[in-house]
Amino acid sequence: MDNIIKIKNLVAKYDTKIILDNISLSIKKKEIFIILGSSGGGKTTLLKHIIGLIKPVAGTIDIFGQEVTKMEDDKFDKVLTQIGMLFQGGALINSMKVWENVAMPLEQHTKLLPNIIRDLVKHKLSLVNLEHAYNLYPSELSGGMKKRVALARAIAMDPKILFFDEPSAGLDPITALELDELILELKKNLGITLVIVTHELESIKRIADRIIYLQKGKAIFIGTLEEARVENIDEINRFFGWNK
Amino acid sequence: MYNIENNKIIFDNSFLLTDIDSFIDDLKKYGTNISSVQIDLSKVETFDNSVLAVVNSLIKKKYQFLLSEKLITEIKIFDKLISFNEKETVVTSGFENLVLRVNDFFSQITSFIVLSADIFSYSIKAIFRKEGRRKGSIYEQILLMGNNAVPIVFLLAFLIGLILSLQSAAQLRQFGANIYLVDLIVISMITEMGPMITAIIVAGRSGSAIAAEISTMQITEELDALKVMALNPLKYVVAPKMIAMTISLPILTVFANIIGILGGFIIAVIYLELSPVVFFNRAVGVMTLSFWWQSMLKSVLFSWLIVLIGAHFGFNVKGGAEGVGKATTASVVAAIFAVIMTDALLSIIFYFDF
Ligand SMILES: Nc1ncnc2c1ncn2[C@@H]1O[C@H](COP(=O)(O)OP(=O)(O)O)[C@@H](O)[C@H]1O
Ligand SMILES: [Mg+2]
Repeated sequence: MDNIIKIKNLVAKYDTKIILDNISLSIKKKEIFIILGSSGGGKTTLLKHIIGLIKPVAGTIDIFGQEVTKMEDDKFDKVLTQIGMLFQGGALINSMKVWENVAMPLEQHTKLLPNIIRDLVKHKLSLVNLEHAYNLYPSELSGGMKKRVALARAIAMDPKILFFDEPSAGLDPITALELDELILELKKNLGITLVIVTHELESIKRIADRIIYLQKGKAIFIGTLEEARVENIDEINRFFGWNK
Repeated sequence: MYNIENNKIIFDNSFLLTDIDSFIDDLKKYGTNISSVQIDLSKVETFDNSVLAVVNSLIKKKYQFLLSEKLITEIKIFDKLISFNEKETVVTSGFENLVLRVNDFFSQITSFIVLSADIFSYSIKAIFRKEGRRKGSIYEQILLMGNNAVPIVFLLAFLIGLILSLQSAAQLRQFGANIYLVDLIVISMITEMGPMITAIIVAGRSGSAIAAEISTMQITEELDALKVMALNPLKYVVAPKMIAMTISLPILTVFANIIGILGGFIIAVIYLELSPVVFFNRAVGVMTLSFWWQSMLKSVLFSWLIVLIGAHFGFNVKGGAEGVGKATTASVVAAIFAVIMTDALLSIIFYFDF
């Protein structure tokens, strides 16, 4: 099983407006797959469909070889415990301290003892260089720190797939670079598959294995950067600033 | 800057935002006779976007212009950029509007009922199974909703009991029916004022807090984050509140009832000069179990209404931070309305002993 996610003929609508129009794509194990496209192009919508926050109007989504769109909640929960998601603003639970946020999935889904959970939390927090934030509340963190805590929370359960929605938006270049390095490490050391929405050209060049380009709800390109260059598509040339 | 020569307004090479006011005033002097004036902009090379807007609209009103090349191209671009449809939303007539509102109301009611059913089922499960429920949250919520409301509930219940007795005592005294003050205060506190006052205070304190918390979690994607971690927000966030409220509100109500009667006791003893023993004996005689049942039934129903309405407005929040404010206010108004309506309905039912 080489493909960890398989999407066939996905159609998404808000009310009557078609947002994703017949999207088909496969994401391979242990690759970094980047979702690109103009703002409002449907990138976030695609992510939310894959992780089941929204049910598609038509089409199928396979994760770990199981069709998930019509799966029962209990079964889908099992799938969810093997994936992590980093939301645009971090989406930390504001009423809980940093360590409680990271501990939450472990407390809820495992029978690990509290002291083990604490150790795991510390480990994840040092992976994202935030040991000193252990006892702070999310409101006491900067935007970049929040995203790193959210990343620690997303990898708390050692997921097989990680989804990111614009991880480097609003970060300074150095923090963004560190985040990219972290992402590459996750792929290399933990063998995680990463699905990332981003606009940052530098970041895409550093980390992308393959990309999908969404325009007005249609996938106008899927493949590697080299292939994109060869295909010579106007919209994508303009996005990367490539000359024809 | 410009000069006016007879029927011509002639600009030099610049036309800026600062010139517009006087230009428009001068133009008005020509009145409605549009063709009587010519505006010469042929030398204008420096101009603001606001100038483009003014000139563009004057051209459409058929004023006579001489334009520089640069202005012609810029105005064309400007006009094209503003030519999209402002609103795709359909403007509806008064009647259609009413129909839409009625439809909206019913769809809200439907979604409220569905949500309520879900919350009940998750809350019942949460009583028996700890998984998926935040640790220690029920205890924490009881403290927050129940314990912290004690002072204000005590004070208000006491004052209500006092005022109610004072007003009635003045009347009863005229008929020499002093002893009936005990009946009046005991029955009205236990079956009406106690449950209702407590519920209204708690709706203001905790119902609003529930709506604010959930709507904030909604707009910051915290609820989505919970779902992705395979945690159901209804179970994780709402169920503990539901359980805590079902425990807290009846307990608060018992206290409120007793404190309110104490207010009546003080009036009876001081103002009507009833002996404490007489008051006590009469009170115990009047206080049948069925009044207490009524009281508890009401307060349990109110507790559910407060949580369900707070959750409903929280989950259906629209927009950003100001949406949170609106959801919070709306939930308090709706909760108090629902409490008083339900109270009236139940009182009628009990009164006629259906
Ligand atoms: N909850 C929603 N309800 C209605 N329309 C939405 C909603 N969320 C997004 N949209 C619309 O769907 C389109 C795609 O949005 P999104 O997936 O967020 O785009 P992207 O993430 O690529 O910027 C946009 O036109 C947006 O206005
Ligand atoms: Mg987006």
